[in-house]
Amino acid sequence: MVDIANEIKQQVQERRPFTPAMILTNRWFLYAVSMLAFFLIWDRAAVARVFSSGLPRPQEVVLQLWRMMFDPLAGKSLPGHVWASTQRILIGFAIASLVAVPLGLMMALNRYVNAIVKPLFDLLKPMPPLAWISIAILWFGIGETSKVFIIVIGTFVPCLLDAYNGVRLVEPELYDVIRMLGGNRRHEIIQVCFPAAFPAIFAGLQIALSVAWSCVLAAELVSARSGLGFIIIMGMNLSRPAVVVGGMVVIALVAWGMSQLVSVLERFVCPWKREIDGQ
Amino acid sequence: MREEKNPGHVKIVCEDITKVFIQKGKQRVHVLDHISLDVKENEFVVILGPGQSGKSTLLRVIAGLETSTEGRVLIDGQEVEGPGPERGLVFQGYMLFAWKTVLGNVEMGPKLRGIPKKERRGIAAHYIHLVGLDGFENHYPHQLSGGMKQRVGIARAYANSPEVMLLDEPFGQLDAQTRYYMEKETARIWETEKRTVVFVTNNIDEAIYLGDRIITLEGKLPGRMKSTCKVDLPRPREHTDAAFLELRQKIIEETHLLL
Amino acid sequence: MAYEQVKVKTPTILRLLPILIIILFFGTWQMIVEWKIVPSTMLASPIQIFQLFLVKWTEVNPDGALLSQHIWTSVQEAFTGYLLALLVGVPLGLAMGWFVVVEGLSRPIFEMIRPIPPVAWIPLCIFWFGIGISGKVFIIWIGGIVPCVINSYEGVRMTNPTLIQMARTYGATDWQIFKQVCIPSALPMVFGALQIALACCWTNLVAAELLAADRGLGFLITMGRKLALPDMVLLGMIMIGLTGVVIGVVINYFEKKLLAGIRR
Repeated sequence: MVDIANEIKQQVQERRPFTPAMILTNRWFLYAVSMLAFFLIWDRAAVARVFSSGLPRPQEVVLQLWRMMFDPLAGKSLPGHVWASTQRILIGFAIASLVAVPLGLMMALNRYVNAIVKPLFDLLKPMPPLAWISIAILWFGIGETSKVFIIVIGTFVPCLLDAYNGVRLVEPELYDVIRMLGGNRRHEIIQVCFPAAFPAIFAGLQIALSVAWSCVLAAELVSARSGLGFIIIMGMNLSRPAVVVGGMVVIALVAWGMSQLVSVLERFVCPWKREIDGQ
Repeated sequence: MREEKNPGHVKIVCEDITKVFIQKGKQRVHVLDHISLDVKENEFVVILGPGQSGKSTLLRVIAGLETSTEGRVLIDGQEVEGPGPERGLVFQGYMLFAWKTVLGNVEMGPKLRGIPKKERRGIAAHYIHLVGLDGFENHYPHQLSGGMKQRVGIARAYANSPEVMLLDEPFGQLDAQTRYYMEKETARIWETEKRTVVFVTNNIDEAIYLGDRIITLEGKLPGRMKSTCKVDLPRPREHTDAAFLELRQKIIEETHLLL
Repeated sequence: MAYEQVKVKTPTILRLLPILIIILFFGTWQMIVEWKIVPSTMLASPIQIFQLFLVKWTEVNPDGALLSQHIWTSVQEAFTGYLLALLVGVPLGLAMGWFVVVEGLSRPIFEMIRPIPPVAWIPLCIFWFGIGISGKVFIIWIGGIVPCVINSYEGVRMTNPTLIQMARTYGATDWQIFKQVCIPSALPMVFGALQIALACCWTNLVAAELLAADRGLGFLITMGRKLALPDMVLLGMIMIGLTGVVIGVVINYFEKKLLAGIRR
């Protein structure tokens, strides 16, 4: 009887007999084939000048990246530029979340705050953050402030929305539980609301991160002296497509890396969320 | 229908409880109609009824999570005005805090009352042992099976030293085997640490197995009391006893329940 | 116990607050500009913007086109990119979800492209397509294709396995199962993708028009900045927001009409 009572969920995996045909349909095999084909076609297209001189060969890109690691471009090596962009994102993101998350929580908990903030929010929400670039430059010039400003504007919306929704989606009976255990309103908020809303806030982080990348790159494309956006626009101005593509590769890697970091962070902070996406 | 008073301290008194819900569009739903019942101290009362008979609402009124439109609930002579730790509630959907371990869940009640850490760990450990979950203190709810989760729920309610335990169809989401097991466990736990219990279920076997007294509600809204039965069988009870089956038959005939 | 009234009415102050706040917002804005708290090169008042709005319907200067032409160009670019993204992205995503071969071949490429924000494609696009409309459509297309593929893929992956097994017991082939079970089952996610992709496309439109354009709402904003005309910049911003909202409403309307029978 104890077996029935104390069973823990287990994951069972099936093994199937091996046949040669399975290789062809094996996922990893196909991945490898696809990547190989991709680079081959790229190389051939570059040599055949499909996009006139606009497409560099893969080797050229790698070479260029290697060079950029050490040769400074406009005063910074590649890691320096990566840090410049990342720094802007971190600062902008920190400012935005420090304001947006508490605001979102308060909006969900208090009807008056909601009535005051929501109309302004709905008014400003439809404007894409990138549209703010020009006005930001008019206001703050072409320095760091305007770039950070845009990141703040861009990440504000997802952070606020996710804090707001995170609270609204909390199972209402959980509040009943706290009440029956003798808690009051303050306990409801601290003990139930915040922890329960956490997974949703983290989901928002990923979206906010990709928005932040868009914002920082766009801001750097328009006017900058450093950063990954600067690299690719320089590449364009100097007619060096290898720099451009190299920059794009770095952007992809860094953005992907940061998103993985957030995933790891999420798994660390909210281990119970696995139940929801465990399937 | 008024219950006749027996000697023995009466713990819970429900006087003429009526509950009307007003839904959107001003539609009124009459859920409970003049229900009165008494529960004596350390008595195990089962409220039996099919779905949609208002029994969960009745339990919530006793718990204080809902206020009755008419009538009142007295516990130890004190009127119930809102939720509170003197009544422990075990929910049908477990309602565990997903972000806390088993230990964290069970000690939440004492924690909210400001009991220092060492003491409340001891309390929590005692009740975790009582429900048979030793060794699982540091597991998270998502790692547990349904039966285990519900046992955490029971331990959590117990740990707060309530005067009254209220259970709202706690085994409704479990499979049949686990359900029988949990019934046995509930009986054992209650025998070990007695409390006044009001238990809501839709299963006759469960009701007869667990209850000292079974109160049945009619099968349609508004909920009214249909009958009361004393269960005088000695514990531990057997589902296949002649007396058990006799009582079962009697209840089926009285209430037109199928199971 | 006393009869409890369930609160159905919101107190009047809650109803009025939003309106008050909006009025306060615009009023403060107008005052800031009128009393020159902020120099006129940096901010234009709501009234000034509205005046420019009226003017631009008929006046081509100083940016070279009428407001209607700007709007039309932007909408055109966005929609072309959007439709192309749907046409390519949704079938690809659906197929990826079901056929291992498709997934195996497309996934690495997709995963490599995915983290690159559409904005980053701009310089490369200028290399490839010059400053014309195709470059802008490409950027919008790249931006819109990602949510389409992801959502369609997820939609197919979330098909109830029991339904698939049931179809197999009827002897259905892979292709039939795909067509009859997976695709309908994925429809809700696909429609979610439609909306997300639209928002993405509209956002990226601004990006595309940032650098290289001679028409369009994004161009209007950039021109306004270059000519130090904040009313033009703000007009462009507001028009982008408004047009986006209008498009969303229109799409919603058509969606409701088309999906009248299908439950979400």
